[in-house]
Amino acid sequence: MTIEIQFDSTWQDDFLHKIDHDGPWGNWELFKLAIMVEKHLVIPEFEGLQAPNYLPNLTPLPHQLETAKQVIENMNGKAILADEVGLGKTIEAGLILKEYMIRGLVKKALILVPASLVTQWAQELNNKFYIPAVTQRKSYVWDQCDVIVSSIDTAKRNPHRDIIYKQNYDLVIIDEAHKLKNNKTKNYEFVQNLKKKFCLLLTATPIQNRIEEIFNLVSLLKPGHLGSESVFYEKYKRDSRSLNDDEHLKELVNKVMIRNRRADTGIKWTKRHVETIPIEFSDEEWDLYNSISQLKDIGEWFQTSSFSVMTLQREACSSREAVFYTLKNMLQKKEDPSQSFQNQIDFLIKKVEAVKRNSKAEKALELIQKINDKVIIFTEYRATQLYLQWFLKQNGITSVPFRGGFKRGKKDWMRELFQKHAQVLIATEAGGEGINLQFCNHIINFDLPWNPMRLEQRIGRIHRLGQEKDVMIYNFAIKNTVEEHILKLLYEKIELFEKVIGELDDILTKLEFGNIEDHLIDIFSNSHSEGEMRIKMDNLSSMIEFAQQLKEGDNHAAAGNS
Amino acid sequence: MQQQEIHNFLLSYFRANECPIIDNKPGYMTVQLTVEMDKELMNRPFYWHYLEKTGGIPNPMRLTLITDQKMAPEKIKGEVIHFGSPRLHQIFESTKKLARYIRLYENHQNRNQQTALYPWLCINVKISYQCDRKRDVFKSIGLQLINGRMVENFHDQLLNIPLTPKIPDYSFTLSPLVKPKSGMLRIERYLKSAIDSEDHTWADEAIERWDNDLKLLDHFYEDANEEAAESYEIEKKALQEQYEPKIHISFINGGLFYLTDKAI
Repeated sequence: MTIEIQFDSTWQDDFLHKIDHDGPWGNWELFKLAIMVEKHLVIPEFEGLQAPNYLPNLTPLPHQLETAKQVIENMNGKAILADEVGLGKTIEAGLILKEYMIRGLVKKALILVPASLVTQWAQELNNKFYIPAVTQRKSYVWDQCDVIVSSIDTAKRNPHRDIIYKQNYDLVIIDEAHKLKNNKTKNYEFVQNLKKKFCLLLTATPIQNRIEEIFNLVSLLKPGHLGSESVFYEKYKRDSRSLNDDEHLKELVNKVMIRNRRADTGIKWTKRHVETIPIEFSDEEWDLYNSISQLKDIGEWFQTSSFSVMTLQREACSSREAVFYTLKNMLQKKEDPSQSFQNQIDFLIKKVEAVKRNSKAEKALELIQKINDKVIIFTEYRATQLYLQWFLKQNGITSVPFRGGFKRGKKDWMRELFQKHAQVLIATEAGGEGINLQFCNHIINFDLPWNPMRLEQRIGRIHRLGQEKDVMIYNFAIKNTVEEHILKLLYEKIELFEKVIGELDDILTKLEFGNIEDHLIDIFSNSHSEGEMRIKMDNLSSMIEFAQQLKEGDNHAAAGNS
Repeated sequence: MQQQEIHNFLLSYFRANECPIIDNKPGYMTVQLTVEMDKELMNRPFYWHYLEKTGGIPNPMRLTLITDQKMAPEKIKGEVIHFGSPRLHQIFESTKKLARYIRLYENHQNRNQQTALYPWLCINVKISYQCDRKRDVFKSIGLQLINGRMVENFHDQLLNIPLTPKIPDYSFTLSPLVKPKSGMLRIERYLKSAIDSEDHTWADEAIERWDNDLKLLDHFYEDANEEAAESYEIEKKALQEQYEPKIHISFINGGLFYLTDKAI
C-alpha cells in the first residue's frame, strides 16, 4: 500500500539560501544540543503513555492511567468517561489531552464545561498538567488560543458559534455530558455539528439514563455505533430501562464507555457519618402545615393539582417564606381566580403571617455554633435560602449564598469567599452540581430532595478525592410530616446516606420502575390514609432493598468466579 | 531526561549562548542573560521596544533555575524546572531554532601537507508515522557530495571528529560534484524508498478502523433527511482526520561538513 509521505521543504529552501550567501551558520554546541533534545522528545512507540514523564508533580491513580491508555490505544480517542462521582474524571481527561499534545496529535482543543467549572478546569490544566488552557472571556480568544475552556451556553451562541465551527479542533472535551441526553436541544445540535476528531464525554450518571439517552449520547460520540435511530428503536423500546438486561447492547456501549467504580479502585475513602435530627414544629408552624394538608379535601384544590399541595407541605417544612412565595405565585398565575380560591390563599397567608419563628433555622444555628467549623446548608428553596442568610446574619454567623443560576465569576467568587471568609455556604439545589468543596466536611440537609440522585450529588460535592476528614451529614426532618416519612421510610431504610458514592445509581438501574420521584408523588398524593401510604412506601423501599441484594449477589458471583 | 541531565543541558545551552553563569550549585543555577537571550526567552517585547525608543540602558534579566528542589537551598527563589515544565520546552524550541543550519570543517592535525576536505551533506530528520496514533523515528543521514556515498547515523559519527567553524590551515575543500540541492533529492528518495519497504501494518489497521467507523456513519445517516447532509460531511471529514495514515518527514537541522578522506 502507498501512504502519503509529506516532505517539509521550507528547511531546504532556507538552507540553499544560506549556502548562496555563505551563512550565517549555527553554533556546533547548540546543534548537538538540538539533536540531544530531539532524541529525548522522539516517541518511538505507538503504545504507552508519555504524559506521566512530563508530570512529576502529579501522581495519577492506577485506574486513571489505565483509563487514559485504554482511550488512546483501544478506543481511538473517542470515549465516554463515566467514572463514579469523585474518581477524578478530570485527571483522566487531562492525561489524555496531555498525551495527545505531547505526541503532536492534538494542537487545538475545546473544553466545554458548566459555567461554574470553567475557571477550575483552566486552573487544573495549567497547574497540574502545564497545558496553557485559557478561559473564554472575549470572542477573539477562539482563534488566538489553542486550548480553550468555555461554557457550552456561551459557545453555542453567536458570534461564538460561527467562529468555533471555523476552528479546526483536534479534541473536544465535554464535561457533565449527561446534559446532552436530549437530541432535540440546541446544546445537542451544537455539539453534533462540531467536528470531533477526538472526543471525550464526561459524565457521572449515564447508567441511570433511559435507553434513549444512552442512544443519544453514544450517537453524538460515534454515530452509528448503536445503529440508526429507526433501527435502534425497532429493537429497543424508547423508554425501556433494559440496558443491563441486554448483554449485546451493554457490550456495545462498553466499547465506547469506561466506568470505574470506587469499589474497584482500592482507594481508601473517608467515612460518612449520618445523623438524623428530628425537629418539633412550634404551634403556629403546625397550624400552617395542617391547614395546607387539609386542602386535599377541598374540591377546587384537589383538581388544580395534588402536587401543589405536596409542594406546599414540603415548603412548610422548610420555611414560611417558601410557602408565602408559592402562594403568591399561585394567585398571580391563576387567571380570574374565584372568590373561594382567593379566600383560601388569604387564609393561608394569614397562617403564614402567624408563624413567628423557624424551628429548623434555630436548630441549624445551634448546630453551626456547636460544629464551629465550615458548614454547607442545602435547601430546595430560594426563599428559604434568603431567609437563612438573613437569620444567620442576625445571629452573627457569616454566610454566602450559592445558586446554579450564578454567573461563572460569581460562583468562583462565592466559593472563594466561603473558603476564606465565611463559615456557612447556603446552596440551593442547582448549586449542588459542578462545584468542589472538599475543604469542608459538614453538610446540613435543611430539607430533602425527593430524588435520591440529587442527594448523592449534594454529598458528592464534599465527599470526593481530596477530602481528608470524615464527612458529617445532618438531616433535618420535622416530626410527623411528609418529610419525616420520606426520611424514615425511604432514605433510612435503604441506608442511602451510608452508601458509598455511585452505588446508588447502580442499584436504581436494577429496578425497572422509572423515576423514584414519580413514585413518591404518587404515593403521597393518591394514598387515602396514613396506613395506605406506609404500605406503599414499604413496598417501594423493599424493591430498592431487593435490587440492592441483587447487586450484592452479583458481586459475590463475580468474586467467586475470579 | 533525568534532573542531572536537564541541569547539564541548561548549562550547555546558556554557555553556548554566551550567558555568564553566575552560580552553579547542586540543584540550581543562576545565569545572567544577554540582551539577545532576554529577548529570546523572557517574552517582554514592550520593555525592549520602550528601551530602544528611549535609548535607555538595557538591563537583561537574571534567571535562577532550580533543577532539583531537594538539593537546592530552601531560600533560593527561582523557577522549578523538570521535564514537563513549559520553560524547559521553550528552551528546547529555542535550541532547535538557533541551530538549524551549520557548516563545519574537520580540525585535522596534518600540519605538513595540504589536505583535501570532502564535502558531506548532513540532514537530521524526524519521521512521524501518524494515524489516530503516532510514533517517531530519528534519522541522521550523511551524503558525500563527491562520490555519492550515503551513511546512516551520521550525527553520532560526527561526534568523534574534531570540528571547527573556520577552515584549518593547510586545507582546501573539494567542490561538490553533487549539488546540495540534488543531494537533498537523493536523500529524500532514499528515505522514501526505505519507508516504502517497511512493514505498514499500523496503516492497514488504521484504515480498517476508519472503514468500520465509516460504515457505521453511513448506516446512521441512511434514513436521514437532507438537513443532515452537512453534519454527515463534517463527521466524515473528522473520521478522515482521525484515522488517515500519513508519514511526515520534518527537518531538525543539518548542514555541510568538510571532512578528511578517512574521517567516515
